[in-house]
Amino acid sequence: MGLFQKISQGREFLEEILKILYYYRGRVVFSFAGVALGILSICIIITTIEGANKKAKDIFEALGPDSIMVFSGGERQRAARVRMTTLTVRDADQLQRINGIYDLVKVYSVRNVTMRYRDRKWQTQVIGSTSSYFTSMAWNFRVGSVYSSDDYANAEAVCVLGAKVYDELFKDENAIGKVIQVGKLPTKVIGILEEKGGGLGGPNIDDRVIMPFTTVTSRITNDKRYLSMMRLKTDRDLDKTIEDVRTVLRINHGLQGSADDDFTIRSSKDILKFVTVISGSLFLFLGTASIVALVVSGFVLANLFYLTIQERRKDIGIRRAYGASRRGILLSFLFESILITLMGGIAGILLSVALGGTFEKLFDIPMLFSYKVIVFALLFSFLTGLLAGLRPALRASRIEPIEAIRG
Amino acid sequence: MITLKNIKKSYFIGERELPILKGINLEIRSGEFVILMGVSGSGKTTLMNIVGLLDKQTEGEYEFMDVTINGLDDEKLATMRNLHIGFVFQQFFLLPYLNALENVLIPIVYSSKQIRHPRDKAKTLLGKFGLAERIHNKPSQLSGGEQQRVAIARALINDPDLILADEPTGALDSKTGGEIMDLFQMLNEEGKTIIVVTHDPKLTSFGRRLIRIEDGTISEDITR
Repeated sequence: MGLFQKISQGREFLEEILKILYYYRGRVVFSFAGVALGILSICIIITTIEGANKKAKDIFEALGPDSIMVFSGGERQRAARVRMTTLTVRDADQLQRINGIYDLVKVYSVRNVTMRYRDRKWQTQVIGSTSSYFTSMAWNFRVGSVYSSDDYANAEAVCVLGAKVYDELFKDENAIGKVIQVGKLPTKVIGILEEKGGGLGGPNIDDRVIMPFTTVTSRITNDKRYLSMMRLKTDRDLDKTIEDVRTVLRINHGLQGSADDDFTIRSSKDILKFVTVISGSLFLFLGTASIVALVVSGFVLANLFYLTIQERRKDIGIRRAYGASRRGILLSFLFESILITLMGGIAGILLSVALGGTFEKLFDIPMLFSYKVIVFALLFSFLTGLLAGLRPALRASRIEPIEAIRG
Repeated sequence: MITLKNIKKSYFIGERELPILKGINLEIRSGEFVILMGVSGSGKTTLMNIVGLLDKQTEGEYEFMDVTINGLDDEKLATMRNLHIGFVFQQFFLLPYLNALENVLIPIVYSSKQIRHPRDKAKTLLGKFGLAERIHNKPSQLSGGEQQRVAIARALINDPDLILADEPTGALDSKTGGEIMDLFQMLNEEGKTIIVVTHDPKLTSFGRRLIRIEDGTISEDITR
């Protein structure tokens, strides 16, 4: 048999099937829509998970693989959302002496401080820190710059605004050199940070004001002893350094024996782990939902298909009489159902591309499209079509031509 | 072309055997035009189904195109039907979602024959049957006679050796039915072997051989 003939037969065959689908479009549309929705949710899950992973890696990279964070309050207090300040400036000074720690950023944060500029008000978090805060967070300035060592030493009233705070207080006006009220303290704006974007469901990272550590502790809170958190960097083994940090802090805080830590240590590894857990449960939940959607639409397809076969007995009889074998009928019915689900799958992929942007804005979850998504989606829709079509197609192939023609 | 030796066919209803064909011996040669006549229940359709490789006999031997049919599997039977037989039915059985031209092309999809330019051939056939203007019409837009002519074109597209027509005029008025029979006459003159199965005594004026079936046996076999 010539290749050309095979191709033209294939075309004839495909055209026929498309015409059948069009003729039975009233039924086809249900299965099509079901598969499209199922595939849509699968696409969104995969892209979201990929996006979250990407984001976690970005955070990991921004923090550096050598980052350790130490927070005031033990795991239990943090879990109960009890705020305690247990870390001290003295702790920081001692930790700095641990072998391998080459950078230490002290952070003192005060929540719910009211900012005022002219008639505008905004409540935000004030962070007192060293000037290395920005470099350790890999955070760049949109305009202006960081405070100088003189500003730091003299506890000058200067501040750097996060993008969100700038938007709330200044809209688009120039802010550099303007004086705002931080609580009761008139403070000069010397820099504005670039927007970093939402932090995986946590508080908006751009909604903060950063000032010299000294200014916050001496002129806003008058608390020169305690710290909210520290950010350390080590060039030694991460886990060993964490062990050292823990030992020093336990001795300093007089914790003995089985007493719980009154601080919490997190490394950039933990963040990665956290995201993995989150995306795991997301996958489980949404994954189950979309599999259910696919299974349901598969059943709908199978049932409608099954009904159609009764109606198409004559069609089948004619084809059998004109030379279609059982296998030929089986294959063409399978092909038909797979075509429906594949088209549904493609529609789902296109929908997810279209809706992806909206989702991103709505839930602040980045989405990452890749060939993986398309391969998965097409594979799932193919399988749905195959499994749903199998029983009806088998039944169709078992119809004897004489019964069908006799009607 | 067709040799039937002591063909028997029975249906079983529970334990009870219901014989339909009670030993048919028959030979049909290439180029014949046969009218197979019988009242309903006589077994004529069952005989046609066996001859057309759509059904299997319970007993007896069938040789078609020098091939012993007994024991061929489904795939082989399908191929034989496709290569050698064109079917025409009482209810036309055109597919509603295909137009006249596409309906004619159905056997091509399953064919292993080298038919050159099947589309052109289908158009020529439809033109020959006076349907040149109708090729893009759906079956629902065609009259009964037109539908039956489309069905005959479909039966011819694959160059079969045998045309098997089961009550081809049954759903048509007598004038249109006569036209259809004239068409078969013409095809027979062009060399096609034709078997028309009918209960209608009016059709005895057509054909060159009349075989009458009564109660599962051949009661009359006249060649003119």
